[in-house]
Amino acid sequence: MNEAARAGLKAPPLVSGASEEGGHMPEFEQDYCAFISRAHAECGELAEFDFGGQETILMSGPDAQEVFFRTADEIFSQAQAYQVMVPVFGPGVIFDATPERCKTQLKIQVDALRYQNMKNYASVIAQEVEDWIADWGDEGEIEILHAFHELTMHTATHCLLGKEFRHSMTEEFFSLYKDLQAGVQAISFVDPYMQQPVFAARDKARARLEEIVSELVASRRASGKEYGDALETFMTGTYKDGSHLSDTELTGLIIATMFAGHHTSSGAGAETLLEIAKHPQYAAELKEELDEIYKDGEEISHAAMRAIPKLESFVNEVLRLHPPLVILMRKVMEDVEYNGYLIEKGKTVAVSIYESHINPEYFPDPHRFDPHRTEPERMFAYIPFGGGRHKCAGNAFAILQLKAIFSALLRRYDFELIGPAEDYEDERANMTIRPKDPCMLRYKRRVA
Amino acid sequence: MKVKVDLDLCQGHSVCLAECPEVFNVVETEEGYPQVVVLIEEPPEELRQRVETAATFCPNRVITVED
Repeated sequence: MNEAARAGLKAPPLVSGASEEGGHMPEFEQDYCAFISRAHAECGELAEFDFGGQETILMSGPDAQEVFFRTADEIFSQAQAYQVMVPVFGPGVIFDATPERCKTQLKIQVDALRYQNMKNYASVIAQEVEDWIADWGDEGEIEILHAFHELTMHTATHCLLGKEFRHSMTEEFFSLYKDLQAGVQAISFVDPYMQQPVFAARDKARARLEEIVSELVASRRASGKEYGDALETFMTGTYKDGSHLSDTELTGLIIATMFAGHHTSSGAGAETLLEIAKHPQYAAELKEELDEIYKDGEEISHAAMRAIPKLESFVNEVLRLHPPLVILMRKVMEDVEYNGYLIEKGKTVAVSIYESHINPEYFPDPHRFDPHRTEPERMFAYIPFGGGRHKCAGNAFAILQLKAIFSALLRRYDFELIGPAEDYEDERANMTIRPKDPCMLRYKRRVA
Repeated sequence: MKVKVDLDLCQGHSVCLAECPEVFNVVETEEGYPQVVVLIEEPPEELRQRVETAATFCPNRVITVED
C-alpha cells in the first residue's frame, strides 16, 4: 500500500494496561479469556495488544473474522505466524516448507482424513472404546482428564500408525510426545531456540521419534502389506515431481497431526462428559436417542458415521463454551485496509474462538450451557474448528470420535458429579481451556 | 433446486461424492487440496434428498441448496 493510501487510514485502537516487560503477555497468560474479553469490550472489532513484543490485532465479530479466514495466505500467512512449531515438526515440514511443498503436505494430511479412511477409523475407535471400559465394572470413580488423555492417545496412535504400533510402542511414544508438547509454551513465541531445558528435551524427543518412525516405515516398505491407516496414506502421497515424503517429513506430519488432534479431542471428550454429569436432564435425552438408534444391534462404527442429532447438538454446545483452541493467528505480509483502519504489514492478526462464542448477539445468555441452541445462520460466528482454507481438516474425525465414544459410554453408564458443581470450573491457564485437574466423576452401570 | 459451492472453504473431504456422485465430484487441483466440482448445477428433484444430505454432512459447510 502506498503512503497516500496509508495516510488516509486510522491505526487500530490499543488495549490499555501493557506492562513494561512482555506487554500484555503476563495478563494473557494468567487468564486469556478474561484478557480477550476486556480487549474486545474496550476497543471493539479491532483491538491491538502487545503479545510479548509482537504487535497483535485481535479481530472480533463475524465480519472481521470472515476477513481473517478468507484473506489469501500470501497476505495473512499462517506459516509465518506459527514458526514456533518448526522445531517441533522438524525442518522442511509444513510451516517450514516452501508454500508449494506445504500445500502438498497438507493435501496428503487431508487425504488421510477422507471419507474412505474414515470408515476404518470408526471401527478402530469403537474397538478402543470397548477396550477402555472393559474393566470398569458396575460402578466406580474416575478421573476423566487422565482417562480421556489415555483413550485419545490410543485412538490417535492406532488410526495414525496402525494396530501393531499402538500395541507395542504407545508408552514410549506417549512420553516423547509429552516432551514435544512441553516444548511449546508462551515463551516459545518469544524465541523457540533459546537455551532452555524444555527446548533441549523437545529436540531430543523429536530426534528419537524420527528413529522410531524410520524403523516403522522401513519395515512397512519391506512387508508390502496394506494397513488402511494414516501412515499408509502419508507414505503413498507424492509431490508434483513424483517424489515421496522423506522420513523427516513423515515424522513431522505425524507430529503435526497429533498436535492438531490429540489434546483438542482429549479435552473435548472430558468437557463433554463433565457437562453430561452436570446436566442429568439433557443426559436423559441423549440416552433416549442412543437407545433408539442402537436398539436393533446397530454397530457403533456404522452409526457414528451417520446423524445422531441430539448428541451432535450437545457436542456443538460443549465446543462453543469450551473451545479447545484459544486463539488463531496469522502474520500480516501486506498492508490491508479494514473499515478505514490499517492492518499493517509485519503485525499479527488474531481471532479468538472463545470470544466469538460468547457474543450475545448470536448466543443469547451466552454463558449458559444449552444444547438446544441452534447454530447461528451467520457464517464465521460459530467457529470451533476455525474456517476458510485452513479450517481444521480433522473436524469430521473429531466429531466421529466423540459420537463413537459417547455411543458406547452412555448406553452403559450413568455419570454424576462427586462434589459441588462449583468445584468443576474450567482452568484457563497455559493457553488451553479444560476442566480443572483432577476432575473426578462417579459412574454406575445403567439398569435396563 | 440450485446447488452452489464455496470453494474458499473446500478441502476435498469427499463426503458429498460418497453421498451423491451424480451431482458431486472431487478432483485434484494444481496444488493444494482437492476440490469439489458440481456436475449438475440444477439437479432433478429426485436427487434432492441426497443432495441435501451431502450439504448437511459436508464437514466444511461448502454446499448450499437454493430453491
